[in-house]
Amino acid sequence: AGPGLRLEAALSILLLLASTQALVPSHRLSARDLARLRAVLERPFTDVRAAYYSIVGLSSLGVRVADEKAACKFIKSHVDSSSVESLFYAAQSIQVLSGCEVTISNETRELLLAAVSEDSSVTQIFHAVGALSGFGLPLASQEALSALTARLSKEESVLATIQALETASYLSQQADLSSIVEEIEDLVARLDDLGGVYLQFEEGIETTALFIAAAYKLSDHVGTEPAIKEDQVIQLMNAIFSKKNFETLSEAFSVARAAGSLSQNRFHLPIIVVPDGPAAVSHHQPVLKLQVTNVMSQLLTQVSVKLDQAKSVSSKATVLQQLPFTLSGDFFELNFMNVKPASGYYDFSISVDGDKRFIANKVELKVKVSTEVGITNVDLSTVDKDQSIAPKTTRVTYPAKAKGSFTADSHQNFALSFQLIDVNSGAELIPHQTFVRLHNQKTGQEVVFVAEPDSKNVYKFELDTSERKTEFDSASGTYTLYLIIGDATLENPILWNVADVVITFPEEDAPSTVQSKNLFVPKPEIQHLFREPEKRPPTVVSNTFTALVLSPLLLLLILWFKIGANISNFSFAPSTIVFHMGHAAMLGLMYVYWTQLNMFQTLKYLAILGGITFLAGNRMLAQKAVKR
Amino acid sequence: KALDAFLLYVLLTGALQFGYCLGVGTFPFNSFLSGFISAVGSFILGVCLRIQINPQNKGEFQGISPERAFADFLFANTILHLVVINFVG
Repeated sequence: AGPGLRLEAALSILLLLASTQALVPSHRLSARDLARLRAVLERPFTDVRAAYYSIVGLSSLGVRVADEKAACKFIKSHVDSSSVESLFYAAQSIQVLSGCEVTISNETRELLLAAVSEDSSVTQIFHAVGALSGFGLPLASQEALSALTARLSKEESVLATIQALETASYLSQQADLSSIVEEIEDLVARLDDLGGVYLQFEEGIETTALFIAAAYKLSDHVGTEPAIKEDQVIQLMNAIFSKKNFETLSEAFSVARAAGSLSQNRFHLPIIVVPDGPAAVSHHQPVLKLQVTNVMSQLLTQVSVKLDQAKSVSSKATVLQQLPFTLSGDFFELNFMNVKPASGYYDFSISVDGDKRFIANKVELKVKVSTEVGITNVDLSTVDKDQSIAPKTTRVTYPAKAKGSFTADSHQNFALSFQLIDVNSGAELIPHQTFVRLHNQKTGQEVVFVAEPDSKNVYKFELDTSERKTEFDSASGTYTLYLIIGDATLENPILWNVADVVITFPEEDAPSTVQSKNLFVPKPEIQHLFREPEKRPPTVVSNTFTALVLSPLLLLLILWFKIGANISNFSFAPSTIVFHMGHAAMLGLMYVYWTQLNMFQTLKYLAILGGITFLAGNRMLAQKAVKR
Repeated sequence: KALDAFLLYVLLTGALQFGYCLGVGTFPFNSFLSGFISAVGSFILGVCLRIQINPQNKGEFQGISPERAFADFLFANTILHLVVINFVG
């Protein structure tokens, strides 16, 4: 009754969850990624910091350094006893290496203890505490904690807070670390959500990975579950393991530590369900195989995998419920074909249990069931258009070809009907692709039609020459008829040469030569039409009118002469001459302007000439007035 | 009278230009316009000068001597023809 009730409760919760979209990990460290990570971490050490990254990183992945003695010697020779940071790297590395002992002088110890104070930065406190802890030296946890909290209130950066988390994990559990533990929640609030799939700090993936490592280290140390929700853990995972190329050693180190944390902590273990190959079953391969791994692609076999339900995508009917997978070797197997499902796609809801810490343990998988198609009841017939003669039907069986050829011309139509069934179950199938292809043997033309099923799922195709002559370009001749059947869920797509059809089009439409519809020949060249100049009257007319227009001038001169306009008052005073010359010059300037100058130049000259003329004219007219 | 003759001349020129345009077409329109405007403008200025010079109108043009009127006539003509030449193309 107990487990049964628990199962009911779990089922009801699952049904509730099924309505919300469960987040599934999209990235993990596959075996290849792991190999790449290891390659980066296994580079030879350049300094103590590199040694620390390599040694501690590899140990997070569960890998021991190749030559531990050499590593130990390297660290001992390269450590800088006056730098707290260097001592930290040395101490942490030595802790991981087996059989590596080092003696710490009093001065070093004093240096480290002095660094644990409110005056040092959080990073310095972190390094000092870590070094003291790594060397196994006594440490006053309460003092360290108060220094840390005081410092943390002044330094708000994400990295400082992460380092504080890790520092706290070195302190004794007797101290009240709850204030530091609360920082985890604050840090989670500072993460950026990218599209609901990724969660990372704006400082980057390295910082996010270090956060994971530190948060879980501290949580394990104090024994309280970290304030990170399941979905958030998965999103963090996606972000961290999306990076597949590690440029710097520190990046590789941070990802390795995050991977180690997520595969071994007391609270959250993300698991990944991986199908073996494509998730497809058929009669030849009826068993669906799955593997369950952790983030580092390590196989988990001490778990139980169960199919909660399998629903057909097209009909939404539940085909299977509550069936456990059986473990065989490394794989969890389920024989799906036992329930004889129709071909198509199925949504599998799978749950993995075995440990309370599992997260992302409810997975949705799309499984394809394939089958083989068979064509039956294939009837080829020529139907007389006038309905006067009964149709002649020939039955053909796949894969034979019909003997003789069929004709389709203006009197007769050609018809084809067939049925498609699932070979294994006998049910009728409606695949996605049912084409009838007619290929002209002489010209290489081909025309493809779609055969449609009627209400009884019988496929019919009829060729009427008068209706279809445009598709054929009215090219008469012998065509080979092919039947093409295809679908994603079919294992045996079919291309079947069914028969030969002689198609005759009415004579008057037949083109003399069959033009190949080649789209890639050069097109006729387009000649650019330049703007036609406007129609001008013939030169004769223009010239005539020019003369005509000038004639009034003659008339004027004659009139003036007749009237006797007196030039007699013309005095040869200098101003008069200047005036007349200036005026003449201005008129000349007008002509030059018309032919050559622009406005600005003209205005310049006009100003000069006009000035002279004006002065002269003024004087002249004044004299005239006086004379009068 | 000399002025009248001049005015007649200008009038005739303008009329002929207009007739040409009517007969042959408006290409090039800008040239036609500038020529025509030149004729019309000159006519108007001539008329102004005539009015100002006429001794019978002396009462209305107290401060303007005939010389002054003539000078104005010349000046206005200059500006007119500057614009006309600009426009004739």
